[in-house]
Amino acid sequence: MSTQFNEFQLSRKGNAFEDFTVGQVFDHHWGRTITEAAAELFSVNTCNWIPLYVNREFAVSEGHPDIPVNPAFLLCLSVGMSVEDLSEAGGPFLGVEEIVFHHPVYPGCTVYARSTVLETRASESRPDYGIVTWQTALRNGISGATVLTFSRTNLVRRRMPVHSS
Amino acid sequence: MAPINTSFSRLLGTHGWYEDFAVGQKIEHARASTVDELEGSFIAKQAMNTAQGHWNEHSPNPLVSGRLVFGLATASLVLGLSAQDTMEHAVSELSYGRFRFLAPVQHMDTVRAYSEVLDKRAHPERADAGVVVFKHYGVRQDEVVVFEGERTGLIKKHAHWSEF
Repeated sequence: MSTQFNEFQLSRKGNAFEDFTVGQVFDHHWGRTITEAAAELFSVNTCNWIPLYVNREFAVSEGHPDIPVNPAFLLCLSVGMSVEDLSEAGGPFLGVEEIVFHHPVYPGCTVYARSTVLETRASESRPDYGIVTWQTALRNGISGATVLTFSRTNLVRRRMPVHSS
Repeated sequence: MAPINTSFSRLLGTHGWYEDFAVGQKIEHARASTVDELEGSFIAKQAMNTAQGHWNEHSPNPLVSGRLVFGLATASLVLGLSAQDTMEHAVSELSYGRFRFLAPVQHMDTVRAYSEVLDKRAHPERADAGVVVFKHYGVRQDEVVVFEGERTGLIKKHAHWSEF
């Protein structure tokens, strides 16, 4: 007799709109040690071949101890590590604002992401979704310094749709 | 006095110093890139983006059939395609902002990049470089704008950094 996969319980991921309250803080999972290989592949695969991101001698001549990690990778990674807590349950990206790079990050650094709920509101056009804005910060685990901050806004699926009267 | 090192300026293009940019200037970047697995699925996975719609061809998605490319992968490609003409002479990238994802990108779409100079100004602490604000656009092969966003760079001044 074949295995009945409908007897297996789905290990669900993600939060719904109802799970977010203003001021709530999420320390996101996993953290990431950024290797030279990961940073380099990101830059070359996005056609970002300027010497600051691919040439160590050049970066050192500019006063860096090593090639700085492409800030676009830091942004992608910050969002990536926050997705399960914030937006994996579905809903398109509406925008990212005020993305500020406070300190350079170098290969070998381990970074951690944390987000705070800034705002929750209803979607006027989508009764099955709400709109949530979070502030996210990326921290260097060695120095403790905040290296990147930004806010982002997504449509977030509701567990229970609101019915218009 | 800011440090001056001219020995590596020979690696940079002749154009793209702070003095070369003018507010209102519009640039079409020469190279477009198809978004294949390296630019789409790979970037999402490399960034630990756990949303499977970016890398599961058979995940149901209301916007597209197949994989919807991670918006920041598209943004990063636009930032890369425009890097040589806007950031090659940068000391550093200071900030990004007003990122908007205007239409979906699927694998095998092609994205072209355009840039516009929004502002340029002196840096309060650096005589050898100035601040330039760009607006970047990502446009799909069918001329639909898929991404808009701003990037602010600290750009070297030719007068301070050139060998000549």
